[in-house]
Amino acid sequence: MSAPERPLWETLEHSVQGVNKQINQDWYVAEGSGSQGDPLILSVADGHGSAAHARSHIGARCAVDLFAVEARRFAELARSEGPDGATHSLSWLMNYARNELPRQLVAAWQEQVLAHWDRYPETVNPAAEPPHKGQKLLLYGATLVGAVLTPQMFAAWQLGDGELTVIDADGAIALPLAPVEADLGDETESLCSRQAWKMVRVHWAPVVARDRTPRLVALSTDGLSKSFASDEGFAQFMTGLDQRLAKDGGPDDVRDALPGWLAEAARYSGDDTTLVAARRPGPDAADHGAAADRPRSDA
Amino acid sequence: MSDIPGGPMANRPVHFIWLLDCSYSMQGEKIGQLNYAIREAVPEMRSVAHDNPAAQLLLRTLTFSTEARWHHKDPVPVDDFTWQDVQVDGMTNLGEALEVVSREFQTPPMPQRALKPVLALVSDGVPTDDWKSGLRALDATPWGKKAVRVAIAIGADADRSVLQEFLGNPELQPLDANSPKQLAAAIRWASTAAVKAASQPVAAPTDATVKQPPYAPPQLDDDDDDVW
Repeated sequence: MSAPERPLWETLEHSVQGVNKQINQDWYVAEGSGSQGDPLILSVADGHGSAAHARSHIGARCAVDLFAVEARRFAELARSEGPDGATHSLSWLMNYARNELPRQLVAAWQEQVLAHWDRYPETVNPAAEPPHKGQKLLLYGATLVGAVLTPQMFAAWQLGDGELTVIDADGAIALPLAPVEADLGDETESLCSRQAWKMVRVHWAPVVARDRTPRLVALSTDGLSKSFASDEGFAQFMTGLDQRLAKDGGPDDVRDALPGWLAEAARYSGDDTTLVAARRPGPDAADHGAAADRPRSDA
Repeated sequence: MSDIPGGPMANRPVHFIWLLDCSYSMQGEKIGQLNYAIREAVPEMRSVAHDNPAAQLLLRTLTFSTEARWHHKDPVPVDDFTWQDVQVDGMTNLGEALEVVSREFQTPPMPQRALKPVLALVSDGVPTDDWKSGLRALDATPWGKKAVRVAIAIGADADRSVLQEFLGNPELQPLDANSPKQLAAAIRWASTAAVKAASQPVAAPTDATVKQPPYAPPQLDDDDDDVW
């Protein structure tokens, strides 16, 4: 009997509702093993939540679900052949990541939330003029952070606030999708913004050597970062998370503690607070990539 | 919870500034009613703040007459705020007051990490200085552009077009307070609704066709015999 295979990535995820919020307007996903055939897909979305965005919890869910579809398609393109029989080049994939995927994602999101509106139109005042497209989209406004990881590729996208935090193989922390200038107050770019696809920020990082793959990738909604008194405090949280996960039994301990941590953060930020993270279990994890690529069996 | 990794946590401040016209035209009942209305509104401001524990409500007051003067210069947490009556004195130098606020809205002294500030302007007259220059200075600051602005016009002589321009949003209107009762209601609304609006997340307005009024001014009863 052989020892159980170590996973390529340990994932953890949780979300808590903001103080005095009626519903949690965040949504998230963490799926896949990170192998070639089963990419690791991480995403969080944050519905704006105020009265002007009354359906933003639905907008957030649509955003995450559609990102997962687009990310799977992208990972499939990365391993499949182009029309000339050769695999797609890195430059082709980079162009796709920077241009095609944001366009398709935003278009699909708009289509889906407008279809939702058509199924459930508001009938508070039947005599009132029906809202135009922009007003409908506004109701569903949400931000999105998403990432996809395979043994060859790490790419991530962000629209609006929230954080993508990456800790590299040497332990250095980076927020590669942080805007040059942070929005003041609680205003943010959004999926409901005009030409939203142009606002999508993209992180493109082909994996040149497996042992240089990031050891922690974390996506969080702004309810987490805004709970800290400073940006440094948030960075310390992420390095501390990385260190706790590295300990024996760390992932289970962190999973147990995470709901309490996020609840405490939400008490300060007042916002729904969501964290999705993936950590490579150890330095030899990459050796198991080939094994993880074998077809899985439910037997 | 002490085992959370990371630095200290803290809620974010909402800086609320009263901008009060204390020119001679406010003399008598108007200034008396204004003092009364703000004093009475403080408990409601505390209540709103307690309902939104993630925001730390900090209050200041700037009066303007022949000169702009801080009545409360340092931001005071709402729980510690006590109203001290303002007095009338001279002209209506709104422009200078807006200049003073624009200096406060630089970063620093304003922190980068804050909720939108609130500017509540109350006036009964016509500015006597270059108010447009002051407004331009305010609009040129990052926090000035983001600020939630409310304006209350006291009586028939108030220059509504100035207040409208201060609001900077054609969707919003100055609130008319033509009687003590209306002034009390307007102050109560400005104290609470604007604070709520400042602490709500919204999509940044990139689409000119989609207006997002941050708050809806109330309909004020007009059944008061005592009209200004």
